[in-house]
Amino acid sequence: MESVGVVIVSHSPKVAEGAADMVRQMVGEEVPLAWTGGNPSGGLGTDVGQIMSAIDRAWSNAGVVVLVDLGGAETNSEMAIEMLPEERRGRVLICNAPVVEGAVVAATEAAGGSSVDLVRQTAEEYSAR
Amino acid sequence: MDLGAELRAELVKAVATVIDRHADELTSLDQAIGDGDHGINMKRGFEAVLADVANLSAKPWPDFLKGVGTMLVMKVGGASGPLYGTLFMALGKDLPAEPGRADLVRAFRGAVTAVQARGKSERGQKTMLDVLIPTAEALEAGTADAAAVARAAHAAADATIPVKALRGRASFLGDRSIGHMDPGARSSALMIEAIASVLEKA
Amino acid sequence: MKNGVATETAATGAILIEHEVGLHARPSVKLTKLAKTFASKIELGLSGNGPWIDAKSIVKVMAFRAAKGSTLHFRAHGGDAHEAVAALVELVRRGFDEGHGGG
Repeated sequence: MESVGVVIVSHSPKVAEGAADMVRQMVGEEVPLAWTGGNPSGGLGTDVGQIMSAIDRAWSNAGVVVLVDLGGAETNSEMAIEMLPEERRGRVLICNAPVVEGAVVAATEAAGGSSVDLVRQTAEEYSAR
Repeated sequence: MDLGAELRAELVKAVATVIDRHADELTSLDQAIGDGDHGINMKRGFEAVLADVANLSAKPWPDFLKGVGTMLVMKVGGASGPLYGTLFMALGKDLPAEPGRADLVRAFRGAVTAVQARGKSERGQKTMLDVLIPTAEALEAGTADAAAVARAAHAAADATIPVKALRGRASFLGDRSIGHMDPGARSSALMIEAIASVLEKA
Repeated sequence: MKNGVATETAATGAILIEHEVGLHARPSVKLTKLAKTFASKIELGLSGNGPWIDAKSIVKVMAFRAAKGSTLHFRAHGGDAHEAVAALVELVRRGFDEGHGGG
């Protein structure tokens, strides 16, 4: 069974990469995972094209969840999802959860073969605790 | 090349020119209350649109606008890329292939609403919406000549100066955002002026 | 360590946590992932009488916070209940396959 993919979007590439490292070390290799962060000039920011490409790298037919940090990361992730091909759009969900903890929790849930809805729900359950 | 294609190419050139001419000014406005890249980002975006103008303008209005919007999202980056991209893409979604003035007024309002939804923002928060919403209202009220539309847009941009920012990076500055014009409001007013003057002659 | 005791499709087991930092983040992930590989309903408690939490819920297991020196109790119901309890007890016994200071 294909695992749901996890995408990490932070304004800071270091935060995004670090969160991805934690997922890899704590959960393992079986979950498709990609991260993106920072703007082209090396500063803080997020970029719609980069987010689309991260979704592509973490793509799974089971779907993808996206973890975001501050406002613009969410706005740009929503935009990126809307710009995906129609057959993929509905299978990508943004989680209302803290980026680091949410990524680890989501990946753990995803590794068990859960659906994309359940993966998001679990990540959000963690943040609502 | 049909008349529509010529008009579309002319619109692209007019907007790209005004953004290029004001890039430094937009950057310095953004240095005061943002991250200082609005001018350069917008310039990069419209240079990309301009470079593809022959291809883009050959498409009918809905596809042309969608193409411009997509390019702005990809090339402008930051917060304004997705917001301006949304504006143009939504315009493209709402306009018929051969739009009249009434279509444009209605589609513009729809596109402004799409920007509001994208930015989760309202009027009065010191953003581009403070220009886009009054412009939609002016068009709905029947303002027809380009000079009047441009005046209304610039007045609306000026009116952002005493406002405290409530959205975007400028909002982190709190009271210190007061006394500066919002760069997105300024670029919106410049673009509206350029578009209105081309459309009036069409 | 007490060995698993089974009744029909139910199984229970208990094991002392000797891992340095207890059931913290990384061990929680391992435990949950392992639990999820079994079809049975699996629960976790700090005593043989509960209260019980769902061992397949990463959120609940992370919030569980069992320290070194506490005893983890498992109970499972389902076709693979025995295997599940045995595997989970074994994971804890192995110190979650980690060196010291992990978690």
